[in-house]
Amino acid sequence: MRILLWAAVALAGAAGWGALALARGEPVSAAWLIVAAVCTYLIAFRFYGRFLAHRVTGLDDRRATPAERLANGRDYVATTKWVLFGHHFAAIAGAGPLVGPVLAAQFGYLPGTLWIVAGVVAAGAVQDFIILFASMRRDGKSLGRMAKEEIGPLTGLLAMVAIMAITVILLAVLALIVVKSLAESPWGVFTILCTVPIALLMGFWMKVWRPGKTIEASVVGVILLLVALVLGRHVAESATLAPLFTHSGVTIAWGIIVYGFIASVLPVWMLLCPRDYLSTFMKIGTIALLAIGLVLVRPPLQMPALTRFIDGSGPVFSGALFPFAFITIACGAISGFHALVASGTTPKMVRREGDARLIGYGGMLMESFVAIMAMAAAAALEPGTYFAMNAPLSTLGGSLEAAAGTIRGWGFSFSPADFQALTASVGEQTLLGRTGGAATLAVGMAQVFSRAFGDGLMGLWYHFAIMFEALFILTTVDTGTRVGRFMLQELLGHVWEPLGRTSWYPSSALASALVVAGWGWFLIQGVVDPNGGINSLWPLFGISNQLLATVALCVATTVIVKAGKARYAWVTLLPLAWLLAVTCTASWQKVLSPDPKLGFLALAARAEQQVAAGEMAATLGRQVAFNARLDAALAVLFVAVTLVVVVSSAREWLLVLRGRKPALARETPFVETLYAN
Amino acid sequence: MRTDVGALLARAAAVVRRLAGMPDYAAYVEHARRCHPDRPVLSERDFFAEYLSARYADGPTRCC
Repeated sequence: MRILLWAAVALAGAAGWGALALARGEPVSAAWLIVAAVCTYLIAFRFYGRFLAHRVTGLDDRRATPAERLANGRDYVATTKWVLFGHHFAAIAGAGPLVGPVLAAQFGYLPGTLWIVAGVVAAGAVQDFIILFASMRRDGKSLGRMAKEEIGPLTGLLAMVAIMAITVILLAVLALIVVKSLAESPWGVFTILCTVPIALLMGFWMKVWRPGKTIEASVVGVILLLVALVLGRHVAESATLAPLFTHSGVTIAWGIIVYGFIASVLPVWMLLCPRDYLSTFMKIGTIALLAIGLVLVRPPLQMPALTRFIDGSGPVFSGALFPFAFITIACGAISGFHALVASGTTPKMVRREGDARLIGYGGMLMESFVAIMAMAAAAALEPGTYFAMNAPLSTLGGSLEAAAGTIRGWGFSFSPADFQALTASVGEQTLLGRTGGAATLAVGMAQVFSRAFGDGLMGLWYHFAIMFEALFILTTVDTGTRVGRFMLQELLGHVWEPLGRTSWYPSSALASALVVAGWGWFLIQGVVDPNGGINSLWPLFGISNQLLATVALCVATTVIVKAGKARYAWVTLLPLAWLLAVTCTASWQKVLSPDPKLGFLALAARAEQQVAAGEMAATLGRQVAFNARLDAALAVLFVAVTLVVVVSSAREWLLVLRGRKPALARETPFVETLYAN
Repeated sequence: MRTDVGALLARAAAVVRRLAGMPDYAAYVEHARRCHPDRPVLSERDFFAEYLSARYADGPTRCC
């Protein structure tokens, strides 16, 4: 019976992949995409996940977990596996799996889909699971500390620096996505601005008026948020109010920078924590709604399986299919950042070791499914609409007619009148050149929702999607700035001890200002970039995230080797080798390519030539050249740090394998569980 | 009947709290009474404050 069931799952999955791969001309239904992905996940979880749990790691239900041994009622709390699965998923899934696939859709839906599914099964979920396992066996230690203890102090320090630098780039690119979707959009700006007083109200509710009543405050917050969403339409339609909330990208970027600083120095209960709750509820709710909507509507995928842009000439971002499809989609396939959560709050809450397979491996499969839904929503748009929204304005040409000419030149049909009608239906003044994925996804989601749950509400659904994305991106910006501040204070504390005191106000303010200035610099650079900013920042983010994954996989391999299971080390070594190949090729091309659209150094040289020839203003030219060189230096730094980590890890593996060092895992000793089951 | 509904609601609230990473005061009180009967139990207000400072102090709680 069991065998029959799994055979049926395998057959359904194969049928799905077949339908996707063999479609010629006719649009395929998104249903096949979902069937193919889900069946592959089920089989991977049942067979590969089981292999990882039983053979590679040897999860042992008789062994007491940190949540049992160190229970303190606060962070070490034994939690039922499905609830922790939801908690872990809400913590790892953010804007990454939604944005990456939308950008990668410029290659067609097939390359991204294949990488999302194959990547998660063989790399991303493996990384998350093994790091969760390793941290769980070490009292919930962080990735940085495990790197230090298992590989060496230098590696630990480098891992800290890498995490810090990656956080800065991540925050900048996420904030850029918000800016791109809110610029010149009074409805969006009004709704997002409203989230600040709503969060403050919730904060005072939970802390002052009704201490600890978090659920009550959240219900009130969600209701007020929906009211603000509806009111936003009236603001956008009012001749007096709309101009107050219509702002350029630069103004909004400065607003986010100032907000990020304030949120980082205010006490957490006032702003950060209430927004965290709001965004968690919105995220879980909206993702569930999107899944239901996609199943009900099953839209046809209008984007071809492959587009002509696989050669690297794509307008959304430059670079050929290899390696850039694998850089653009990080979250959803493999994301190094997850290793920080899998070695943070989650390992302290696992009730039984056996649960780690569902939480670590399964949680990442779930995030991958979100990425597949984002890909489906983007590929369901007309390709002409997709490119009009995602190519930078400088490529499209200033007007709708010019854009129509450019897009038809690429071989896609495009009707300016239809596009104008779409823009009006979502209550915006313009949708041209809204690179960054958020707006595209919002249009895709609005079409699915309005078809599934009633027509005529396109505008409301669109802004609901924008609000949901902006809300949790800004929450990541808040928490990320705060985490960056703590890491920086720890580093600064080595220089002058008082700077390390997190409760000393001047030190907190200084460290916050430095972190905000770091990501703020890259944010402003992205906003004023004539090529749209995403083209330079998103690949940099992808590279840094994949390199952090490389560091995590080094730690994971070390843990496996030291546990005396070197014969299974291929489970992390294969993804490690693949990621190294991808990131090194991508960094090489981003730094050294002679094409100024692709290579940072070539871009800098071209900007200087343009200034010399009088084609570009001298200040802008100098800025572009400087920023391009800075990006190049950063890419080189990332690769250098990672290579040092890889080499020092490999040395450690060889020492153990040759018997010069004992294969000794630094696990907390075995204690038998007192739980009955 | 009424207590059944109340208990069910309380359980649902506990699940929602854990999902969103909210503090669970009831669970803390239970833990404190059982494991540290010698120490005073924090008030809900103090527990909330302490929970927040622990949760947002170390490592990222949210991803990309």
